[in-house]
Amino acid sequence: MNFESLLNKLIEDTLQLSLPLFSAELVLCGTIVLMLLVRLFNADKFLPAYIVSIIGVGISFAIACCDYSKLSTPGFATGEIFTGLLIFDQFTAFFRIFLLLFLTLVICLTELSGIPDREDGPDFYTLLIGSTIGMLLMISANHLLILFIGIEMTSVPSYVLVGFMKGRKKSSEGSLKYVVYGAGTAGVMLYGISLLVGLLGTANFSEMGANLHQILASQSVEGVALAISNPVVGTLLLGIMMVLVGIAFKLSLFPFHFWCPDAFEGASAEVAGYLSVASKGAAFALLVRFCLSIVGDYSSVDQFSNIYLAIGIGLGVIAVVSATYGNLTAYTQNNIKRLFAYSTIAHAGYMLMAVAALMVIMSADSGADINKAELASRCIQGLLYYLTVYMFMNLGAFAIVAFIRNQIFSEDLEDYKGIGKAFPVLGICMGICIFSLVGLPPFGGFFGKFAIFASLYEASTIHWSMFVVLCLAGLNTVFSLYYYVRILKTMFLEERPEGAPDFQSEPNLWNSGYVVIISAPALLLGIFPGRLSSTVQDIASVLFN
Amino acid sequence: MEGISLNSFLFVGAILFVSGIVCMATKRNLIGILMGVELVLNGANVNLVAFSRYSSIGIDAKFIALFVIVLAAAEAAVALAIALSFYNNHQTIDVDQADELQG
Repeated sequence: MNFESLLNKLIEDTLQLSLPLFSAELVLCGTIVLMLLVRLFNADKFLPAYIVSIIGVGISFAIACCDYSKLSTPGFATGEIFTGLLIFDQFTAFFRIFLLLFLTLVICLTELSGIPDREDGPDFYTLLIGSTIGMLLMISANHLLILFIGIEMTSVPSYVLVGFMKGRKKSSEGSLKYVVYGAGTAGVMLYGISLLVGLLGTANFSEMGANLHQILASQSVEGVALAISNPVVGTLLLGIMMVLVGIAFKLSLFPFHFWCPDAFEGASAEVAGYLSVASKGAAFALLVRFCLSIVGDYSSVDQFSNIYLAIGIGLGVIAVVSATYGNLTAYTQNNIKRLFAYSTIAHAGYMLMAVAALMVIMSADSGADINKAELASRCIQGLLYYLTVYMFMNLGAFAIVAFIRNQIFSEDLEDYKGIGKAFPVLGICMGICIFSLVGLPPFGGFFGKFAIFASLYEASTIHWSMFVVLCLAGLNTVFSLYYYVRILKTMFLEERPEGAPDFQSEPNLWNSGYVVIISAPALLLGIFPGRLSSTVQDIASVLFN
Repeated sequence: MEGISLNSFLFVGAILFVSGIVCMATKRNLIGILMGVELVLNGANVNLVAFSRYSSIGIDAKFIALFVIVLAAAEAAVALAIALSFYNNHQTIDVDQADELQG
């Protein structure tokens, strides 16, 4: 094959296959440019930034939905695009819709609560959309380079978003801590990537598993389990661990969570809500892809099952510690954003349990009488269901915090006394979000937790440690009840103290309507779980074909 | 270049990485911490370039290194901007002074 035919093939592949499937992201890029041009020509007086951004994101969302429906038509080839750098399948399409829907909701929220003023609007939405483009790269990553670029493109605008309120001491301190931890973990992750790339001889997710098996097989001695003291195995595990550090930072899991409460307290509630859901969703998609890529062909892992089991148990331990730490620390918090930050850490822990169960199931001997593909796809189903419900319930909670802040200019739990009676709609929606976050039936959070706990139980038949994880997770749900209910108790049962500052305005119909629309799915997904669970079932099953 | 083994390059990379981590952990000045981050990133870059010559990964690793240089510049720009905003509010860039948010 000569150079010219190679070049023609590349151009054809890019223009005809890859770029059309990438158009959702391209529209977002175009929106950013357009928004900045509008301001450049002083047209933002009659075309405000939020209108441009919501139209752009809306178009992009529509394209993502079309792409999703195209996937179900027969004969449509899914797979790697851009010469294997990205992957497009049902899993990508689902997360793309998830992120773009969430971005639309966040832009509506920022407009209703008025956090970026007219002048700062284009900057704010540029950062918001820019970091979402990074997340869209994360969810479709099929290469270690895209993994790194995606995480960096997501993080760098988020640092600025946290410090967006320039004059406030807390805001600059929150973003300072975020940037220091973020830059540090990004460096560690990159070092891990360099080790993996060098040892595996490939950076492509679809080849990493096979190369890893080959290397491990060449290192193993007949009849002896692979020892971590073996230098090659040890270095490989170190590389995998370092990459997981970078992802764990984005998920705010236990030893890498320090930034989370500080950044959330320093940021405005809208930004905190955005970071808590969007970057977690994208990071979980990336984590699942990375874990599946290092497992590779799951029917032939018998020889090195102890390596995968060790990774699975390690993730399980981190998950339990994150959940317990988050729930116990949240109990003593007085700032409501900080409280929800710790609750976010705990929820990341619950969701990580699904990935831990996935790895343990993958490590099972092929002799065992289980259907790996089905059990593993159930773990992913639980994760996807939980994430979808989590998007609504957590954004709902942060939206209510933002609207209440506009009324009382405070985010301390003490000042929330009697708010539930003054603003019944906000109070009741907060109740729905909180009961869903606890995981009480019939709220949506219950089904998400139930699905994850069920897959933990299935994983416990392979290794007993998953049973311990399951018990501690159940116990954690009980812990979390106390601090969540404390918020409701303050809002509804306590009287508003004498001399408390007056409310700024009457309850606004738009604000109430928004929180009802956001929190209703948290309840509806619990009452009618059928539709979403069959959708996530289809999506999870394509990962294991 | 002949006669220098892969291990020598990896050793340099590892030293840069460890120096960077130590720098990040011990410096109290924000600029110092950012310098540590740069050391870590460049340690990884040395690894990547060495691997692209000696291992089967080939030119891919060099491209990763190029992208990393660009991203490191972007990250440094943002980090310095945040340092400036912190300085405006606190009149210092000593990270120990960032102790208002606790709990």
